[in-house]
Amino acid sequence: MELVIKDLHANIGDKEILKGVNLTVTPGTIHAIMGPNGSGKSTLSNTIMGHPAYTVTSGEVWYKGQNVLELPVDERAKLGLFLAFQYPVSIPGVTVANFLRAAVNAHRSVAGKDTRETAIPMAQYRKDIREKMAALGVDDSFARRYLNDGFSGGEKKRIEILQMSMLKPSMAIMDETDSGLDIDALKVVSQGVNTLLTQNPEMGVLVITHYQRLLNYIKPNRVSVMMEGRIVREGGAELALELEERGYDFIREEVFGNAN
Amino acid sequence: MLTKLPVIAALTAQDIVVASEPTWLQQWRQAAWQHVNEGAAPLWRRTDLTAFALADMEFSATTSTSQLGSAIPDGVVVMPLSQAVREHGDLVKAHLGSAVAFNSSKYAALNAATWRDGWFVYVPKNHEASVPLHLLQGFGASNTLVARNLVVLERGAQLSLIEQYAGDGGPFAVVASELILGDGATLQYTSMQTWGATVHHMGHQVAKVGNDATIVWTAVNTGAAHQHIDAETNLVGNGSRVNWTAATVAGEGQRLLTAPWLRHVGRATEAHMDFKTVVKGSGYATFDGMIKIEGGSTDTVTRLEEHALHLSPQARSDSIPGLKIDTNNVQKAGHASTSGEVDDEQLFYMQARGIPKSDAVHMIVMGFFESVLDRIPLDTLREQVTADIAARI
Repeated sequence: MELVIKDLHANIGDKEILKGVNLTVTPGTIHAIMGPNGSGKSTLSNTIMGHPAYTVTSGEVWYKGQNVLELPVDERAKLGLFLAFQYPVSIPGVTVANFLRAAVNAHRSVAGKDTRETAIPMAQYRKDIREKMAALGVDDSFARRYLNDGFSGGEKKRIEILQMSMLKPSMAIMDETDSGLDIDALKVVSQGVNTLLTQNPEMGVLVITHYQRLLNYIKPNRVSVMMEGRIVREGGAELALELEERGYDFIREEVFGNAN
Repeated sequence: MLTKLPVIAALTAQDIVVASEPTWLQQWRQAAWQHVNEGAAPLWRRTDLTAFALADMEFSATTSTSQLGSAIPDGVVVMPLSQAVREHGDLVKAHLGSAVAFNSSKYAALNAATWRDGWFVYVPKNHEASVPLHLLQGFGASNTLVARNLVVLERGAQLSLIEQYAGDGGPFAVVASELILGDGATLQYTSMQTWGATVHHMGHQVAKVGNDATIVWTAVNTGAAHQHIDAETNLVGNGSRVNWTAATVAGEGQRLLTAPWLRHVGRATEAHMDFKTVVKGSGYATFDGMIKIEGGSTDTVTRLEEHALHLSPQARSDSIPGLKIDTNNVQKAGHASTSGEVDDEQLFYMQARGIPKSDAVHMIVMGFFESVLDRIPLDTLREQVTADIAARI
């Protein structure tokens, strides 16, 4: 199913950050959103997922027949949306294994059914998480560590992809996943995403990034450029390369003129 | 036949004496009783003293309900303190009142004068107790429990001790614990106040820590309507250490106060304090702490953390940490404090993984307490306390 964003306006406090975003992400495509710092990219991903710091003032986000803006955050996740965080928070006292099991079981829960019936059997869960950790080069010991507590930037991003591969979303939003990653970590993380895409070719991926670098490893089908709270340009993979070469200024001039 | 018990306020000096006890103890009780009658009322601004009125407290001359929740570890002396007065008189005389002085407050004096319940625990020199000892204290026939525990670890001794106040009744508990750690001794001390919801708990706990001795103190306070605990670690020995954590849950109608004092006296002493509090409903918790570094305490390391989570807008927590330094040779002194609602970013993160808000709050709060509860040495007790807390949040 498509993710359709219609004329989305959102504020932080009194400041309007999104000024009418229109965007459609089709299943089975990798759709990159590129833009300079402060253009509203992270606000867009957080607003789709329902971060409480952002207020939607108008617009709609449709997915699987529902305006997700009307759903609580956890229901958006259960609908198949996944946000890989730019800055994953740490949760002391909650282990990676327990956290992910709660998340997996929340996804499996069905209204009106006892959660003990729908919960993943422990042995199955252990097998799943072990396999996926191995595939991402995450040491077994991480399962018992507190979530993101004292993890390096690269470790946090791998754990984000681990969660994504356990929860198998149908629409993944990756918010600046490349920030703070060295090239080796970037390769591992990208490979994780690509493996997931191979297993689930219908998954849509919205990749939010400032740089072209990540797009060498996760190859986009579509590229949208965001500036000052709007999508100002759309194109294919070649647009990302052009941006890499020429920077954002040429688009800024085309869109906003040379006034300043 | 039921006879009405006298109230403590109406007792005479003669009433509180136990005829069979040695003269030194009779005199000590009487001196304490004099302090009950003549000492000033404590200046505790955050504790409602009307909840601890002597005129409401009944006195029972007989002992009541000290129990053991575990077997007695081999080689450790464990018996009612009243029995130890007869059988280990010299040890009791040497240590009784040496940590909790009766003139430290009117209630410490009340405890010294009128205790009938409580335990004597003695670990001989260099003996390592192999299993944890669990002391369990409940209420007896009187509406007031006055119990005193005296715990003595000789040089090089090791013990894991759980001291738990549990059950319904009372409502008044006036208790004291004296912990004496000889040189090089190690005590894992788990103190648990898990009374029923109507109890008024007045506690005094003092640990005196010898040279190179270590106390690992874990406090869990979840019960009672009113709690006032004066707790003190006195790092009197050179190289003595304390690792002190606490988990407090104050729910609807509870007012729980802990006043921890940490005294650095010896040279090269080290302390880590990490106190965690959750308040909910109309619950009110107070951390009224003081760290005192005495003039002779050089090369001191001390670190205090206290964190409070508020689960409802009416819930309150007060934090009054104090630091008094009388030396100019402190190696490290640090303090960190937070207080507020469950972090929005943590909640959003968990919800973004499909976890409903109430479950997310639950996991965050249990995670908050994890490092404290993890230290409860008996599996069944740890699981029970964890489940009790989980059910309340």
